[in-house]
Amino acid sequence: MISRRVLEVSTAALTGSFGLAVAVSSIDNGIGWSTAGVDSGTFPFLAGVIIVLGSLYNLGRGALTGAAVVVSRSDLRRLAALFVPAAIFIGVIPMIGMYLASAGYMFAVLALPKHQSLLHALVIAAATPVVLYVVFERLFLVTLPHGALAAALGF
Amino acid sequence: MENIDLLLHGFTIAITLPHLALMVIGVLLGILVGVLPGLGAPNGVSLLLPLTFGMQPVSAIILLSSMYWGALFGGSVTSILFNIPGEPSSVATTFDGYPMARDGRPTTALATAFGSAAFGALVGVILITFLASWVAKVALAFGPAEYFAVYFLAFASFVGMGGAPPAKTVVALAIGFAIAAIGIDTVSGSVRLTMGIDELVKGVNFVVAVMGLFGIGELLIAVEEEFHARAVSSKIEWREVFRALARLPWHGVALLRSAAIGCWMGITPGGPTAASFMSYGIAKRFSSRGKHFGTGEVEGIIAPETADHAAGTSALLPMLSLGIPGSATAAVMMGGLMIWGLNPGPMLFIDQKDFVWGLIASMYVGNIVAVVLVLLTVPVFAALMRIPFVIIAPLIVIICAVGAYSVSNSYLDVLLMLGFGVVGYLFKKLSYPLAPLVLAIVIGDKAEDAFRQSMLMSKGSLGIFFANRLVTGLVVGAIALLLLPLVLQAIRSARGATPDRAKPEEIRII
Repeated sequence: MISRRVLEVSTAALTGSFGLAVAVSSIDNGIGWSTAGVDSGTFPFLAGVIIVLGSLYNLGRGALTGAAVVVSRSDLRRLAALFVPAAIFIGVIPMIGMYLASAGYMFAVLALPKHQSLLHALVIAAATPVVLYVVFERLFLVTLPHGALAAALGF
Repeated sequence: MENIDLLLHGFTIAITLPHLALMVIGVLLGILVGVLPGLGAPNGVSLLLPLTFGMQPVSAIILLSSMYWGALFGGSVTSILFNIPGEPSSVATTFDGYPMARDGRPTTALATAFGSAAFGALVGVILITFLASWVAKVALAFGPAEYFAVYFLAFASFVGMGGAPPAKTVVALAIGFAIAAIGIDTVSGSVRLTMGIDELVKGVNFVVAVMGLFGIGELLIAVEEEFHARAVSSKIEWREVFRALARLPWHGVALLRSAAIGCWMGITPGGPTAASFMSYGIAKRFSSRGKHFGTGEVEGIIAPETADHAAGTSALLPMLSLGIPGSATAAVMMGGLMIWGLNPGPMLFIDQKDFVWGLIASMYVGNIVAVVLVLLTVPVFAALMRIPFVIIAPLIVIICAVGAYSVSNSYLDVLLMLGFGVVGYLFKKLSYPLAPLVLAIVIGDKAEDAFRQSMLMSKGSLGIFFANRLVTGLVVGAIALLLLPLVLQAIRSARGATPDRAKPEEIRII
């Protein structure tokens, strides 16, 4: 269970640290006015400072908001059910390639929670990479990642 | 009326059976690349280019430009149905198009979008027909200061209209600017904000950000709310297509205003993206139903679509008359022009009358062909909404991953896309507005470059933004748009009336 306060504060902390990183790394590019005009770090630096100030304000406001629950336990479970398989799918792309990964991902999310019959899930899972291959690799000559596995097998 | 004669002559070139067939092929291929994520008009045009070497230049340009029209139309389809904008210029279409489709009216949303897009394109072509020489002059009058003023105007018309808390709007906007700055700085050539990751030198592409923020972010919100798309009836609703088109004239003011904004932003090099955002912002401000914008308002679809296509069409004129490509697609087409032995530039209008007027005439015919074909496909696309959510959700994840990867064949982009997805969910959940963030990512670095080039020219004096009538008018207009809401509020409170605030649940943060 996540309360509004926790979510507000952690988002503000996230944006604030991004702003800080932006501001700090812009200093290297030079800020201010030089013979070459406005230095390249100036605008990112200003943007970074604005992000930090705004995030501090949001952090303060967020800390004062109520502790009402905005993401309940069952919400969280449904979110995880979508996000975790998606993250695994994206995580394994460099290893087994887009085609195997997308087929496996499709099969896993359709067959394991028993949303679809096994046959149905198998057909959809097999069709996905075929369609991707025909449209991207054949029709529009865009190579999708084949993965380390395919490279090891010599494709 | 020399132009009319030339145009009629152009029609005799454009309306021949082989050319009509080329238009149909071009439009269909264009719709395909427009609908597919990560592929856009530039991909399609570059693939077709080699096929055109043996053709007459006028046939070749008809094929390529028809493909461009098809891609422009196709790009709106995924914005409306899945909240994944395929092109920068169709982001603003998601704001009302997606809620309307989710509400069980995908047919209405698509037909409205295509109808108003066709109207915008038509106005753009008419403008080209009659004002070719004048338009070229306006485009030439644009220096860095004017560029900056146009971008400033686009921001001013959009920022602060979404009803989000001001501090959150400012943070979102500044994050967008910071993301736009990542990579090589075009003015000084130095590398910025890569945080030690060498691959970031190429910058963060807009498509990557948008697929995460809108596509994945919206998906996460949808599963959390246990959302189920309102059932779409399985009948093919031709009547609804025509009903939506027949209702368009009722929004005549919005159509004309959006077309005017689009043409203006197309010939001044603001571009279709800035045009669609600006048109949406202004429509929201001036529409009597402004506070319902974001919940599936018809005018919220009409405004960005009309402006987008008006700008996209009129932007082809600077390419032909000045040899300045306004977009990646135009740049590829210009490459084609040179291969076919033509030199883009003012002389084209004098030396190659058949080519130029054949092309302009084909814009009329090609857009009609495109809108007819695309309307025929509406029921097919609307049927996609009937696929169960359990299948559509992983498909959207795969589409976003493939789309992000194919932008520049980089796995890092796929990871970034997923990261943007989480940010999109958090922002949406906590009512941070996404629109200023995206607008800043798309035109932030261009605005910054223009500002810095102006400063170089003026040696640091802000006076350059008031140096002539054109730029002064633009800057004053932008400031007026920024201050208008404050002034209206002041007047209202001076009268002692309570400001009519929309109920919180009616406001959708955009």
